Amino acid sequence: MAVISGRWARILLAGPGAVIVALVVMAGMTRWVPAGAAGIDNLVLPLVLVPLIWAALFFHACLDRRLMRVAVVAAGLLVVSGGLVAQGLYARSNTEETTR
Amino acid sequence: MIHLAKDETKLMVAVHGWSGIVLGLLLYAVVITGMAAVFAEEIGIWSAGHVEAKSAFARPVDGPVRELAARTPAKYHEGVNLFEIGDHNLGAFFHRDETDADGKFVSRGIYYQLDREGRVVKALHGTGEDVFGPRNDDALSSFLVDTHVRLHLPNPWGLLLTGILGLAMLVAAISGLLIHRHLFKDIFTLRRRASPVLVDRDRHSVAGTWSLPFAFVLAFTGSFFSFFGTIGVPIVAMAAFGGDVQKLNETVFGNPGTPDPRAATPGNLDRVLADAARRGGDVPTFVSIEHFGRADAEVTTFHRPREGGLAPTTLLYRGATGAFDRVKPSIGTQPSAGGTLTAIMAPLHFGNFAGIVSKAVWFALGFAMCYVTLTGLRLWLARRREAARSLDWLDRAVTVVGFGLPFALVGAAAAFLIAMPLGAAVYWTPAAFLIAAALAILGGVVAPSRAALDRGLLLATGAGMIVLPALRLATGGPGWTTALAAGQPIIVALDLAFAISGGWTVWRIAGDRAVRTATAAPVLHPAE
Repeated sequence: MAVISGRWARILLAGPGAVIVALVVMAGMTRWVPAGAAGIDNLVLPLVLVPLIWAALFFHACLDRRLMRVAVVAAGLLVVSGGLVAQGLYARSNTEETTR
Repeated sequence: MIHLAKDETKLMVAVHGWSGIVLGLLLYAVVITGMAAVFAEEIGIWSAGHVEAKSAFARPVDGPVRELAARTPAKYHEGVNLFEIGDHNLGAFFHRDETDADGKFVSRGIYYQLDREGRVVKALHGTGEDVFGPRNDDALSSFLVDTHVRLHLPNPWGLLLTGILGLAMLVAAISGLLIHRHLFKDIFTLRRRASPVLVDRDRHSVAGTWSLPFAFVLAFTGSFFSFFGTIGVPIVAMAAFGGDVQKLNETVFGNPGTPDPRAATPGNLDRVLADAARRGGDVPTFVSIEHFGRADAEVTTFHRPREGGLAPTTLLYRGATGAFDRVKPSIGTQPSAGGTLTAIMAPLHFGNFAGIVSKAVWFALGFAMCYVTLTGLRLWLARRREAARSLDWLDRAVTVVGFGLPFALVGAAAAFLIAMPLGAAVYWTPAAFLIAAALAILGGVVAPSRAALDRGLLLATGAGMIVLPALRLATGGPGWTTALAAGQPIIVALDLAFAISGGWTVWRIAGDRAVRTATAAPVLHPAE
């Protein structure tokens, strides 16, 4: 099995990794950001902040000397945010089924 | 000051350089057209010779809108958008929101273009994407905006590409900040008597550092706009509403209330607009009517930000009675952090929050960004030239794009001025741009040296700019007296701006002061 070198792992984390994690974090934010007085903060804040989330992940992947920490942070965000989205979709499908 | 270790600084220099070099030329195209598009409205007035100073919303619109409603199928009364087109004429889009066969959320209906007397000049049927395109009298400003927004690529690819370019600019801005070892010293360091490359480096550094906050804001807001509809909305709709984009739009932009589908005669729209002009400080720039002709109809008027403000003003009226309901945030039903943040993204990107002054500042900072992009590319090449790696083709490509693009834009403007009176501007504006771009590319191939190419393209651009005001007058555009009498000083201002900047460019080149041939390239250290 080919082993990915540290350099390539960093490039993968800073490139496609940062894009995927930023998009999943954006989706996950709809589940935990407070809706606010107008009931829309959880919908619009993720849309506004996604370029900054991506930039933060990109520079973290570039500058953190410990590659493992970069991977753990990215994987943690991916799992937690992905889990929240999955939980929301599951709850929605259950509700729809009950309504039917 | 942010202090990075030597290795990290080197890495940031590499990130800064490569983020620019990989996408720099495309980024330059987006920034330079964006810089011009700051004045898209003014360029539209200047190029088409618009002399009507009174807004369409300051003239009676109630009668024409009722007549349009009577000839439009009731299914398209779900939403009516009213806006200005051409020389302060009215445009009306009667539509309904629906999901098309391939699951895409669209607005479908009839788009009416009216003349000054309120008569229908054109009626276009289809989705928003089908019916909204350049018209003969706004082909030039539309061309500029379209190039900036999506580089003329089909949706969603154009928006995705400009979004990626926005992210590259964000990376260049942040890494540019991180690589400064002496930020405050660098802001003021301009060694005029140093070698040409060091002079260029200083200029790049000074222009780049001063415009860093602006670059950050532009990159951030620009990538937000590009990704908003293409990626953001579908993903957020999937996570929050199981993929129902319409529900997301209703929640964020709609005015929720108890539905009342009973038919009701609409309130007088002219009275609504007069009241809105008084409350909003100026006539609206856009009007939206939900459920036209129903008891639950609502009219929303959108206004420019008030003096000293950043967020636009939005007013809500009851459609059936025309009574004022409340001041409403642009986004959401009540003021909120997310709504306010989203509402200020447009003024921050377009620089239109303080009229012509903020637009001029945005234009100047956009010019600085173009300069930074171009000199950054040149510095990257200068460093490799001394390392004996031949990148002459890239050097020429930078000139072809860097100076060829303004040349092609001037060519497009000249073609528009000639073709508009003949009714052929929609075709000839982009065609002339392509022809001028082809000439610039040809020049890049046959020019004896890069310096000669620089000189040729700059001279042609300067000469073209000098000719534009005369061409405008010769093709039937209003003279200065007519323009001033009609309250359109912008026509005179743009004539002068073209003549002066064109004259200055020609004078600089003719005096052989603008283009310096970089013959001796001194050593540049990696962090430089």
